[in-house]
Amino acid sequence: MIHFSNVTKFYERQAAIKNITFSVEKGEMIFMTGPSGAGKSTLLKIIYLSEKPDEGSVTIAEWDLSKLKESSIPFLRRNIGVVFQDFRLLDNRNVFDNVAIALRIRGMLDSEIQDWVMEILKMVNLRHKADSFPQALSGGEQQRVVIARAIVGEPTILLADEPTGNLDPDTAAGITRLFKEINARGTTVVIATHNRELYRNTGRRVFRIDSGNIVGEEIG
Amino acid sequence: MYLLYSFRLALQSLWREKWINLLSVLTIAAGLFMITLTLFVVYNIDLATKRLPARFSVMLYLNDGLSEQETGSIIAQLKKNNAVEQARYIAKDKALEELKGVLKNADYILEGIDENPLPASIEIKLKKESVNIASVKKFAAEIKKIKSIAEVEYGEQFLNSIHSIKGMAKAGSLSLIIIMSAGVIFVCYSTIKIAFYRRKEEIETFKLLGATRGFIRAPFVIEGSVLGMFGGIASMAAALAFYHVLFYKVTATIPILKILVFPFETFPALPIVGLLLGIGGAVIALGRIRFS
Repeated sequence: MIHFSNVTKFYERQAAIKNITFSVEKGEMIFMTGPSGAGKSTLLKIIYLSEKPDEGSVTIAEWDLSKLKESSIPFLRRNIGVVFQDFRLLDNRNVFDNVAIALRIRGMLDSEIQDWVMEILKMVNLRHKADSFPQALSGGEQQRVVIARAIVGEPTILLADEPTGNLDPDTAAGITRLFKEINARGTTVVIATHNRELYRNTGRRVFRIDSGNIVGEEIG
Repeated sequence: MYLLYSFRLALQSLWREKWINLLSVLTIAAGLFMITLTLFVVYNIDLATKRLPARFSVMLYLNDGLSEQETGSIIAQLKKNNAVEQARYIAKDKALEELKGVLKNADYILEGIDENPLPASIEIKLKKESVNIASVKKFAAEIKKIKSIAEVEYGEQFLNSIHSIKGMAKAGSLSLIIIMSAGVIFVCYSTIKIAFYRRKEEIETFKLLGATRGFIRAPFVIEGSVLGMFGGIASMAAALAFYHVLFYKVTATIPILKILVFPFETFPALPIVGLLLGIGGAVIALGRIRFS
């Protein structure tokens, strides 16, 4: 589903990731861990095409990114749900509209959107907050809105960048359960985190990243 | 599919910045009103020059002592010319009579002149299409070759002046229309550019969620077209007010202005022109949207 081959990315002549090679199978759930600035976010950005690798090749769901036309990028992105580290919620829209926007972009009709969004909000336990605005939500609730927006379009890949960054342990455990449920439905999940609790005893592959290199792989 | 949503986004954005947008609409209206006024001036100059052929004539002054047969032969020869619509013979006596008619109370000027000093002449009306400098010059040169014609007069300077006034009016109005249109496009461009920067974060999120260029552009293009269209409607209202003031108030004191004609047929075009210029401004403002 995701294949990196000798990928390097520079920022102002400094390599953020160096010569990285790894693969993620369809339906797999993996973790990337390491200190801040290790290159985890850069890896995710390359997967959702926010950054281009300077060297090496990347294949996402049979799409060779080096051969991808710019006009095709939106269509590939619709297959990738992203839980952004900075949430990227739209402050002037309520929870419902923040989630629905992912479907409106896909050209879905309002009548179809209504039921589907409410279904997803129920799944993340936010149905009662559909009319609230992001500023009125707690960090955990905002995180769940972002997850709802990422999965509402039924992507084949879900990426999460530090999804439990500022959350208390109970809320973090709830978010982890949610990712497992999403993965159980067949979605490939990639989580970048420095929170060990998130991957401990999961039985999933964990890639240890440091200074832009994969320095180890273990089972969590 | 997403057009309805784009309309909603555009209307929300227009309402959110309603005062700036109102200012833009008024500026666009002023630009389009100037274009309408320019067209009004050009239209009337054009009408005036179109009326010219009916009043324009070429005068041929004949040598004295021509027989009736010789005069008839000249007229027949003239009538064969493709440029000639009508040729009217004016005998010496008739010319004097007409001159007295023109002088009216000043006919004492002619007192003491025993002999009729005026020559017999032929007044030629040319066909509409031949009333232009080149054709008239060519015609004058041809008929000068006819024996017994003493002089040909056709107001060369007058024709030249009309021609240059028409040319200047056309060039001037075209420049003004281009400048004003560019101004309207620039107003739309600036308004949309500001709206685009205001929503830059939101647009970045849309891109990351898989929005196409069409989805991102549509609300801004709609905003530009709405601004342009309302500018067009406002300029139409201003043109109607101008018409009312000019033809009902000003003509009461300056009646000669009644000969002016207002090109009403341009009115419905104003909102459409505004809309198209608005779309143009928006498209330029958005430029090329990049995804990576």
